[in-house]
Amino acid sequence: MHKDPHSTNASLDSSLDSSVETTVRLLPLRPASQVMQLERLGSFHQSRLSFMRTLVRRMVAENWQITSPIFDLDDEGYGTVVYQVEAKFGTFSYVLFSHYLDPENRNDRVIANQWDLTMALCEGTVDAEQLEFLRTNVPKQEAGRMDSRVLVLSRANRSVRTFEYVVNELTLGRQPNVDVIAEVGYLYRTTAAYGSGKLGMADWEKVRTKHRDFARPFAAEMFTCYMLRHFSMQQADFLAAQRGPTTAVKLHPELKRYLGIGNSTGLGMAPFLINHPLLINQWIEMRETALATAVVASEVGVDKETMARLDMATERVIQHLGEIITADERQKNSNVVVREELQALHLWLQQQAADLAITHYVWADLIQYAEQHWHVETQEVINTMLIELYPDLVDGLEEQMGAEESQQVTPEMSVSELLEIIEDKYDWALAIDFSKHESMGAFWYRSEEKMEPRLGQTNIDMGMEKEMPLGIGRLVRECYDCLRDYNSTSPSQNVAHFILKNPTFSGIVARMQTMAQSRYGDIRENLVHSDVLPIYLLRCKLSFFGVSKFDPRSRLWVRNTMFQGAPLISDFGCAIADDWQFPIKPVLPTQ
Amino acid sequence: MKVSKNELMASLKKAFEGLGFRPGDYQDAADMVVWLETHGFDGFERLRAALTYLNATKPIHAELVQEDAHNAVLDGRGTSILLCGSEAVDLVRSQVMLGSCAALELFDCYNRTFILQRLVKAAQRNYAFIAYWRQLDYCVKVSIEAGATLPEYQTFTITEVLEPQSLRIFCGNNLESIEKQYALQLQFGTLLETYTGEEMMVCYQDSLEGGIEIDEALWRTLDDLVARVLVQSTDRSRAGAGGS
Repeated sequence: MHKDPHSTNASLDSSLDSSVETTVRLLPLRPASQVMQLERLGSFHQSRLSFMRTLVRRMVAENWQITSPIFDLDDEGYGTVVYQVEAKFGTFSYVLFSHYLDPENRNDRVIANQWDLTMALCEGTVDAEQLEFLRTNVPKQEAGRMDSRVLVLSRANRSVRTFEYVVNELTLGRQPNVDVIAEVGYLYRTTAAYGSGKLGMADWEKVRTKHRDFARPFAAEMFTCYMLRHFSMQQADFLAAQRGPTTAVKLHPELKRYLGIGNSTGLGMAPFLINHPLLINQWIEMRETALATAVVASEVGVDKETMARLDMATERVIQHLGEIITADERQKNSNVVVREELQALHLWLQQQAADLAITHYVWADLIQYAEQHWHVETQEVINTMLIELYPDLVDGLEEQMGAEESQQVTPEMSVSELLEIIEDKYDWALAIDFSKHESMGAFWYRSEEKMEPRLGQTNIDMGMEKEMPLGIGRLVRECYDCLRDYNSTSPSQNVAHFILKNPTFSGIVARMQTMAQSRYGDIRENLVHSDVLPIYLLRCKLSFFGVSKFDPRSRLWVRNTMFQGAPLISDFGCAIADDWQFPIKPVLPTQ
Repeated sequence: MKVSKNELMASLKKAFEGLGFRPGDYQDAADMVVWLETHGFDGFERLRAALTYLNATKPIHAELVQEDAHNAVLDGRGTSILLCGSEAVDLVRSQVMLGSCAALELFDCYNRTFILQRLVKAAQRNYAFIAYWRQLDYCVKVSIEAGATLPEYQTFTITEVLEPQSLRIFCGNNLESIEKQYALQLQFGTLLETYTGEEMMVCYQDSLEGGIEIDEALWRTLDDLVARVLVQSTDRSRAGAGGS
């Protein structure tokens, strides 16, 4: 029935229709065995549910008012700025300190101790006394102390080359070249945004219950980065005006929208995903629910307008991926393959629009075809695009992205039942052969340098005895073996008795019993394997943040951009389309 | 100085790990300290007392010495509730059957007030608890209804001979059934003081709004314990962190 969507590969076979129709019932959520594979999680892209997207939608729709009662910069752009934020439910202050930074001290690692900019997001308005307190502590970052009036602490470093180029062009009365901006995509890059009570700041529970404007996960942290983006452009305009009072022009709004904030993310983010399994499960489940909702929406076919939107999105992603500059061979090759496969999708949509419009569950067909023939990253790009088609159906899920992280033992459960649960839900862990050296070839530990998480090689690096318990698969295996032995010698006992005899397993037992009640559960990967790719963990979390343009720098860290393509503060309150994902170069009238 | 709840929790977990606690144990112990401190039970003072013992020994857990269908006795072996509180509550809970309650005695254990948090957490799974123990020259009774989020804490004059370091826990599907089944054991003297759930909530909200006051010396002590789980940094180890 369907024609070939790929010029070189097999066609979307008509025989798929019947099988798909028998499997699609209500919301056909994908199974954990598929979704929770680390490589797939590491191929996720941002979606409508990503935290930057939901924050921007909220700010635009609610028309947040942002003013700058203090904008005290010197001729070099150094000084203090305070933005006052009038959100729907409360008032907040974004306090920023701009410092001179010796280029030799510019370092994006968490171990750095000086930055170009340091910032804090505070509740309410900030008086002179609090401003002095912040001036003393915020520039010190981890070496300083905050108080419970502070929601987020952050810092950023300048992209010197791009920043100076942009300011020089503006000073001379010219708009900067889009291609030059596209090479980097931002003027500043943030290296950390701390919240959730770190360094004495407000607890997440306080933020969630007291400040409805930021009551979604990471909303306050994302806002801090959004304001950094705003300042970066305002500072560029300011410096150009200072340097060329008679010649300077302001940065074109389209270029401003195209500018984002850079981000470098390393291993620090990885333990979060392992230590917050219920939260990650919730994020994944909501994303999968959104995808399933899109599939069900195609039950009786898809209208022409929706088809055209998918086609436009496909073209946009093809261009977006073509504009990414990365030296990472794996990512580079992946981008090429994904573009080719999306080109095939584009042709398919162009040629078969009429047939597709009347095909039952056409998106299920497409997803299945992609799974059988295309790269995992292409599959997840398509999934993201499908979710994008149905804002009215999926946006409500953004209110369900939170979860309380509480693992608890179920002591009355019999040991034999727990064994069955492990065999069912943790079959992936039991399938790992831990007798092989490489299966335990790595270990995670915390460095004495700012407690930075690091990855060591077993029997080579120091610190094995202080290993962080992130190798969930191995812990499951050890506990399972002990449970089996216990069950053979003490049959008919419950978990409470097992833990009394084997107290060292209480943690993993609580985790398994708790996660067994969730749909997606744990990430299915041996994270202590010699060849583990932590970058997939980072990318998974970053996709939920809403970043784009992944540029892996090694298997341990990745560069990306935040808010590139997002509306500006001047767009708040306007009826603008929420379609800034997969940013592409703007075309300016003069260019 | 003031710290946040999350920050305190993170520090305590690593500090207990530094003392040799295992995953699960250090999470539970940190939960207990934070709950007591934020609900007005001098968690830090009790922690300070516990650290003296915990610093001097390896972690010891309780042992089951006697058990029938609905009764159990655990020997605490001189350990802290921070280490054996979860086991005790889990065991008594596991013995509750529909329509009948269970009782547990834990003897030779210390820092018993920390048991409050474990009872509160277990009550969320629809179990009711009553616990009591002798504290100096009075008796402490803690009650929490199934599904409730806060307990009632009362003190009484002593009327029976109670082992100085023992703790009794009764568990059932609701408080009424516990009080009915164990009416003889649950006889107390004159009521001295009641600390209600409402008072605890006020204390908790204050700590959430304004942070938790902690003595700098105790914070430094925790930092020293945390340092035990950190690994020395080298050029090679920096390479294992990624970054530019």
